[in-house]
Amino acid sequence: MAEPVRVRLRLNGELREFSVPPGRRLLDLLREDAGLTGTKEGCGAGECGACTVLLNGRPVTSCLVLAASCDGCEVTTVEGLLAATGEPHPVQRALVEAGGVQCGFCTPGLAVTGAAIVARGVGKAPERSRLISGNLCRCTGYLTVLEALERAGGAPDGAE
Amino acid sequence: MAPSEGAPGLPRAEALPPTGHHPRPDAWGKVLGQTRYVGDLSLPGMLHAALVTSNRASARVRALELSAARSLPEVVAVLTAADVPGANSVGVIFPDQPLLAVDRVRMVGERLALVAARSREAAAAAVGAVRVELDPLPSVHDPVAALAPGAPLVHEGGNLIRTFQVVRGDVARHFRRATVVFEAEYRIGGQEHAYLEPQGCLAVPEGRQRVTVYASCQCPFYVQQAVARVLGLSLAAVRVIQTPTGGGFGGKEDYPSEPAACAALLAWHTGLPVRLVYSRETDMQLSSKRHAMVVRHRWGANGAGKLCFAEVETFMDAGAYVGLSTVVAERANVSAIGPYHVPAVRVRTHVVYTNNLFGGAFRGFGAPQVSVAGEATMDALARRLGLDPVEFRRRNVLDDRRRTTCTGTRLERPVLARQCLERAVELAATTPPVAAGRGEKVGTGVGLVLYGCNLHHGGQRLDRSSAVVILQPDGSVVVRVGLTEMGQGLLVAVQTVAAQALGVPPEAVEVCLPDTSTVADSGPTVASRGALAAGRAVLDAVRRLRRRLDPVAAELLHCPPRQVELLGGHARVRGEPERAVPIAQVAAEMAARRIEAIATGWYRSRPRRFDAASGQGGAYDFYAVACHLAQVVVDAELGLVRVARVVAVHDVGRVLHRPALEGQIHGGIVQGMGWATSERLAVREGRLENPSFTDYVIPTASDAPVVEIEAIEGAAGRGPWGSKGIGEPSLIPTPAAVRNAVCDALGIELFELPLVPPVIVAALGQRHPFAWLREQPADEGVGVR
Repeated sequence: MAEPVRVRLRLNGELREFSVPPGRRLLDLLREDAGLTGTKEGCGAGECGACTVLLNGRPVTSCLVLAASCDGCEVTTVEGLLAATGEPHPVQRALVEAGGVQCGFCTPGLAVTGAAIVARGVGKAPERSRLISGNLCRCTGYLTVLEALERAGGAPDGAE
Repeated sequence: MAPSEGAPGLPRAEALPPTGHHPRPDAWGKVLGQTRYVGDLSLPGMLHAALVTSNRASARVRALELSAARSLPEVVAVLTAADVPGANSVGVIFPDQPLLAVDRVRMVGERLALVAARSREAAAAAVGAVRVELDPLPSVHDPVAALAPGAPLVHEGGNLIRTFQVVRGDVARHFRRATVVFEAEYRIGGQEHAYLEPQGCLAVPEGRQRVTVYASCQCPFYVQQAVARVLGLSLAAVRVIQTPTGGGFGGKEDYPSEPAACAALLAWHTGLPVRLVYSRETDMQLSSKRHAMVVRHRWGANGAGKLCFAEVETFMDAGAYVGLSTVVAERANVSAIGPYHVPAVRVRTHVVYTNNLFGGAFRGFGAPQVSVAGEATMDALARRLGLDPVEFRRRNVLDDRRRTTCTGTRLERPVLARQCLERAVELAATTPPVAAGRGEKVGTGVGLVLYGCNLHHGGQRLDRSSAVVILQPDGSVVVRVGLTEMGQGLLVAVQTVAAQALGVPPEAVEVCLPDTSTVADSGPTVASRGALAAGRAVLDAVRRLRRRLDPVAAELLHCPPRQVELLGGHARVRGEPERAVPIAQVAAEMAARRIEAIATGWYRSRPRRFDAASGQGGAYDFYAVACHLAQVVVDAELGLVRVARVVAVHDVGRVLHRPALEGQIHGGIVQGMGWATSERLAVREGRLENPSFTDYVIPTASDAPVVEIEAIEGAAGRGPWGSKGIGEPSLIPTPAAVRNAVCDALGIELFELPLVPPVIVAALGQRHPFAWLREQPADEGVGVR
């Protein structure tokens, strides 16, 4: 067996240290070692987006990221989208209010990617659709999800 | 138009409660990542399960060498059929399917052995260490070929499982009246459910006497029955608790019984909790699929544009085991004609064994396939009569005057099929036309559905439902039902109904996911029956609770009990709203007096008669209709279809909760669109060659069309407040409408589904923009095929 690797993360704002096998996925570190089960595994192949987390602020599919490669990084999971005050992220609120949550399994990934999209401030609907298209959802048909993105901070169409 | 007369749950002439709009009770937990699905649960000592499966579609098992796997570190158990203490059988209806193969495999993915280990990695290693020797046997992979003389037999006794029929009127006589006859063979592919949460369960044993199974499933009572059968335990000794379920669509109707029985067997043997969560690849290869079908048509119409007769012969690919195929066939059989008046009908629906993927339940339950064919033939006849497809439908659609279906059922008035069609056309006309780019063609198509609500007559024994309502001393309410939430909105529907019936705000009501130890067997959560069956049971429970609540409230209000009404969080004197006490005060008073504040409720559909030989009689309890109109843009060069807009008009009876209803329609449309355009199951010799989301393409956000919804209320169904089901009718018309729109755009007829680019390019033939290239043999390498 290969030697375990030490991984230090700023995980949802907190400094954490883990010792993991070199082949361990970031997804498994989060779900099993850190106990953060909000991040879901839908395919294990980077296709569905259910395991999306923010790595140094950028959305990544954590099933395709080796935990060992994240040493020194900042990782934000769905649990970490809550503000320090406990207030949900505007994308989370918008998903609930727009009816963008059905079975909920893709929802944490959608919320994380959505938060990244809102942070980037993308205004036009086709661009929002494109940016969220790495997150598969089988229940909603995406219409309420796109509405939620618009409500959460993307300016109305044409306003740029 | 208000359906207040006799709407279930209401005294006569009482005003309907308002439609719900509040956020779903499960939304916040899900969006915050706090909801625990089965894969998020673990227990001390828990083992991880994995399956050893067949990689051949048909073979004799020569050897199964397990010792190497058993000797690996961290491996706790490796089990085979010999280790099953009860019946080695998991078929829902027919006992044709073993939990673990004995000496013969009939499909790829058939289970040969089960592994439990202390880690997922060790379980995977053990699977790899099992040596399987299979001697190939002949196999059959087409439902028509499977019925030919001399075809390899999947089971002894023949490949034809059963044939269902509809026989109505004299086809020969009406054939002579037809001036146009259209014949076609449609080849409709299957579909993968692609729920985002893979199949999973966690079995927790208590010695060998009892077991609790936490399962992602639609039908906890099916799981309970399967586990009890396999372990030889009583139903009472098997407790199944539904975990939050990440999508079902039919894929978690019958199938979860299989992984649950596997996990339970391993738990029973090891005495330890065992979790089995499928990988996406395993899930896609092993779980059930929408049935592939071959649908043959011969339909005729007269010079006045009226249908004269319709003959349909369908071959349904059941795969190697029956599962729910015969039940799916029942719906396919009676749905083959659609909402049209046809004087003479002959439908035959054959359910056929093959060595292909396992066919099972999928939203629409056999109706989408035959609806694609039916609506395609409607367009073909219209074209041959020189009529617009909408005009041809106008002349044939059922309405208040002609309202007898192909099963001889006279629909209750008002029949809204014509209204749905006209309204869809009107709505489409008010929107700007879809813009096409260079080389793109635009088309419009319609599809209608006559949806038999709730279970078919053949499944009527399952059509019951249980509920428990508990009024807490603080006025909050616990509701337990036997039907499941899988994303569709059952919890919010039940919450809305309970809150309205008790006059409390929805936030006061907590609805629990089913636990087989707390409610009676409620049948499956299928057939768009959830809100109907659970809601009616809740209304019954509330009615019984009020026999004890109303007298207490009456005392506090100083009025006779029959004058008590529950509204706005208060018990009030009917007609004197200022005389009111909070329901919380009534609840506290009941608690203080030790009055039973719990009540059970029950629902069952009305008995009806149906003759299976002729397919005539009460196939369903009541009906809903819908019309979808799709506008597509087709890139003729690439054969790519983009669905730009779908107008959906639904006869819903009554809207219980607006966002839940619209969410179902959105999701149904996009799932139906995916099946029609991109979701192709690449099956070769029974093996799925594209078991991933890269190769099996479901719609993304970029593919989402504009959707316009109109819900027509007023034709009362038998759900709470007159509501009807929406889960399945939301999908069924879309694939037909999309297919017709693509044909309209290209000016060709297509007889296959899904309409993936190679199908469209091939069908264009000489009309493909680059067809001329094919006529230059020197340029072989440049041709499009």
